[in-house]
Amino acid sequence: MAFDNKEREELRRKFLDYATTRDRSLRDDLVTAHMGLAEYLARRFTNRGEPLDDLVQVAALGLLKAVDRFDPERGLEFSTYATPTIVGELKRHFRDKGRAVRVPRRVQELHLRLGAVVSSLSQELGRSPTIGEIAQSAAVSEEEVLEAIEAGHAYRFTSLDAPSGNDDEMSLSAELGSEDQGLIDSEHRVTLSPLIAQFPPRERMILHLRFFEGLTQSEIAGRLGISQMHVSRLLARALAQLRTQAEDDS
Amino acid sequence: MAAGVASRVGFTLDEVEDLRIAIDEVCFSMVGARGREGTITLRYLLDSDELAVEGTGRFSDGLGNEPVVSALSNQILAAVVDECELSAGEEGPQFRLVKRHRSA
Repeated sequence: MAFDNKEREELRRKFLDYATTRDRSLRDDLVTAHMGLAEYLARRFTNRGEPLDDLVQVAALGLLKAVDRFDPERGLEFSTYATPTIVGELKRHFRDKGRAVRVPRRVQELHLRLGAVVSSLSQELGRSPTIGEIAQSAAVSEEEVLEAIEAGHAYRFTSLDAPSGNDDEMSLSAELGSEDQGLIDSEHRVTLSPLIAQFPPRERMILHLRFFEGLTQSEIAGRLGISQMHVSRLLARALAQLRTQAEDDS
Repeated sequence: MAAGVASRVGFTLDEVEDLRIAIDEVCFSMVGARGREGTITLRYLLDSDELAVEGTGRFSDGLGNEPVVSALSNQILAAVVDECELSAGEEGPQFRLVKRHRSA
């Protein structure tokens, strides 16, 4: 990250301009100019089982925050200011991910098994089963049921855009009619437009049905032909993503 | 914790999930997107067919006691619980939410 004097002066001028104008193209220039620092710091975390590309993305996000918050008037070097912000972002990434991967195998297996138990009980009872009923049917304790449900909420942000690998994926997207989509889009344009619109059609539909139409998770599961546990998982992930976004916007 | 209490009153899976979402959402409204240093204390009040949860945040950052609730948070809370109030208490932001048990 060595800049010559001329480059350094140029960057300083851009930082000063950016501090007053908040011009996006200036911000892009500043981020691009310092990507070397983000990559350098990302490399320090490569021995932890995460692909370098992902880490560079995370570091770039930290860099972006640092560019936004940097006050050039204070006379501090940008790299000195940005390093802790970028390292903090990388550490947070591992902390969040750590939570996702530490679910014990036993709990994961129970989670998978409960999907079927909940489905058949819901059909049998004609309503959402209680935790007690699920526990009894699966022959485990209520605590274990709660723990297994919680495990389904252990998410990875990076997997949001990836297909979940479930069989229902294809049939579901085919089921989402274009007329419904238009209706949903117009409603959200008025209220919460950009927040909801960013999600893929399936998540958008689930958010809409739960929070705008007031359907329960079981009813949504029935309507979309997927399991309640899957609806729960997708909702938890979507809400987590919305909150992360609020964090980035603030 | 909330899920454990809710299941003890015989709430259904749907209701337990709703309550969990509600508590996540109010806590998020209290600490904001950047987080705050401090503690949120929750109290669970059980009745035969409803569960009320009251919470107070005590923060050391002097940022004020007013919870910040986005339009989306409001929409989410209205959909998942029967009552929800967020307000500025004397010690910090506070909330009270009520979830009634519907299914027989």
